[in-house]
Amino acid sequence: MALGVISKEHLGKLIAAVSRTGRFLGPVDKGDGVCLTQVSAGDMLALDYVNFILPPKRMFFPRSEVIATHGSDGMTATPLPEGRVVLFGIRPCDVLSLVYLDKVFLDEKYADPYYRSRRDNAVIISLACRQPAPTCFCTSIKGSPAGKAGADILAVDIGDVLLLESVTATGEAFMAEYGKLLDKPSAEQVSSRQAQVAAADAKMARVSIDQATAKLRARFDAAAWDELTARCLGCGVCTFLCPTCHCFGLYDEQVGGQNRRVRAQDACAFPAFTLEASGHNPRTRQGMRMRHRMMHKFCYTAESFGEIFCVGCGRCIRSCPANLDIRETLTEVSK
Amino acid sequence: MHDMETKLRKAAKDLLESGKVETVVGFQNGSLPLRTRPHFVRDASVADTLVWNRFCTNNLAAYLPRLFEKPASVRGQWSPPKIAVAAKGCDARSIIGLIKEHQVPRGSVVIIAMPCQGMVDPRKADAAAGEAVTDCHAGADGAFEVTTVSGRTRTLQRDQVVAEACLGCLHPAPAIADVKVEGPSQAPAAERFARAREFEAMAPAQRWELFLKEIAKCIRCYACRQACPNCYCKSCFIEQSKPNWAGAGDDPSDLLLFHIGRMFHQAGRCVECDACVRACPMHIDLRLFTQKLVKDVEELFGYVPGASLDDMPPLCAFQSDDSESFITHP
Repeated sequence: MALGVISKEHLGKLIAAVSRTGRFLGPVDKGDGVCLTQVSAGDMLALDYVNFILPPKRMFFPRSEVIATHGSDGMTATPLPEGRVVLFGIRPCDVLSLVYLDKVFLDEKYADPYYRSRRDNAVIISLACRQPAPTCFCTSIKGSPAGKAGADILAVDIGDVLLLESVTATGEAFMAEYGKLLDKPSAEQVSSRQAQVAAADAKMARVSIDQATAKLRARFDAAAWDELTARCLGCGVCTFLCPTCHCFGLYDEQVGGQNRRVRAQDACAFPAFTLEASGHNPRTRQGMRMRHRMMHKFCYTAESFGEIFCVGCGRCIRSCPANLDIRETLTEVSK
Repeated sequence: MHDMETKLRKAAKDLLESGKVETVVGFQNGSLPLRTRPHFVRDASVADTLVWNRFCTNNLAAYLPRLFEKPASVRGQWSPPKIAVAAKGCDARSIIGLIKEHQVPRGSVVIIAMPCQGMVDPRKADAAAGEAVTDCHAGADGAFEVTTVSGRTRTLQRDQVVAEACLGCLHPAPAIADVKVEGPSQAPAAERFARAREFEAMAPAQRWELFLKEIAKCIRCYACRQACPNCYCKSCFIEQSKPNWAGAGDDPSDLLLFHIGRMFHQAGRCVECDACVRACPMHIDLRLFTQKLVKDVEELFGYVPGASLDDMPPLCAFQSDDSESFITHP
């Protein structure tokens, strides 16, 4: 484990150094919220955001991507994405989501080459949380405002400087490579980090979800679902903003005379998601679709991957147009 | 406001107890500051869970086509349920539109008319306060007293807090009522098409650029469509596969097709409730485009959607002197 500090003023130097051989993505305020965006040395980084509007999954599993083109000479797979990408500023909850997505996309038998290539090329410098939002609940589900799982380096904002700690060998090598830009932390800076992390932890909302998996299994047919799902409008906000939702579809399209195969994210909230070729649809009502999403996250993935696929980022709560709150839904079905 | 809440609960209780309706659609307290959520009350004993305040933003008419849909399991004759809705001016306009389009049976819906003073937009309040607002009360002269996450309190003016749609609203009181809840209503807006005029004054290339810039934010979650009372199609053109009108990804041409298609389907129907604007997680400026649409319909055909049950929607009517200026001069 390596420790180092970098002053916020000198982040530009790190960005410039990284940009010589790869890309550097960091938090940028675009007016409508902070987004993970490619930056160059002179760009202003936003460091006082709660979280990105969009989850980082899109960096590895884009909203849509062309995976092959086909013409008279057959099908040609899109070359794998190359080049190192340094992702700075992802929050610990979102970084944990990548550990879960790895279980899906880096399966031993069916690894996804595009996802794997992007993961292999990435160096992730996560940024610990200072001020959780009222919608945050990561500490209720394996997370922490300074959680390290999934990150190569954890950065903690302690005023004028960021304190970096390597988590993986990749992170340690990165810190060695750019060692000239880093200083040794003082004992005071290390203790200030601990105080900051504890303060953020204390502000976090707590939800009890210990029983959720077993209760969901038992309460699949519970009448409570009707009431819980009644106000769901049936949009895909929760799924597309969720850092762990990973369903996709494959589509053959013709664009400008070129035939191509596209992989695009899909959402179980939409009726067409389960529409079968026969015309039969096993999930006819909106309530059944919302229930499925809850079951998938808190029951099926727990059973098949050993993990609940929720990291407590709260995006689905914040952005739901009908103010459906996943914490309440869990509490209600766990009764 | 509190007085209106008491009257609404009483009205809901009476309607449920007398068996005049099976469900009252209203609002209950939400889980986040400055938010309420749609609420379906089926039992008079819990009518007191209904709330009425300045956070009742959702357009409740969006739930009606679904509530009045004949269940697939029912064969033959079916009588629709009786449903009451606590309706603001915009909700009521949407309901009028849905009645005219035969999505809501007039005899089965009870409109509890709620005069409206303009609803709070939490995003606007946060932006005006410079940090997350945790509490917000109407103060004197239409201003609001807000408390922020750091514990500070301050006064924000009406136009810093109230939703854009409400600031430009011409119909704050419902135009149709079965049960009237008396209460204060804001004065109809004086100027309402300012942004559409600015847009019209731009060169076509600039307009196109602005449109592309906004639409590029779209993640195709369809929250705009789902929150819209007018978007009740069983199968939206954008998701159809036979034929396949659009690709499934986020190619700009596909994003454009969805938004242009959806907007055109709103011509003569959009009541500018801004449900789509509030629902959009990516903050796309849909209001600019819906305002232009509403202005065009009003100026070209003299039609205001949802104003009355009796007038004919422009897409259903033909007059030999209908304006066709838009055909030759886009």
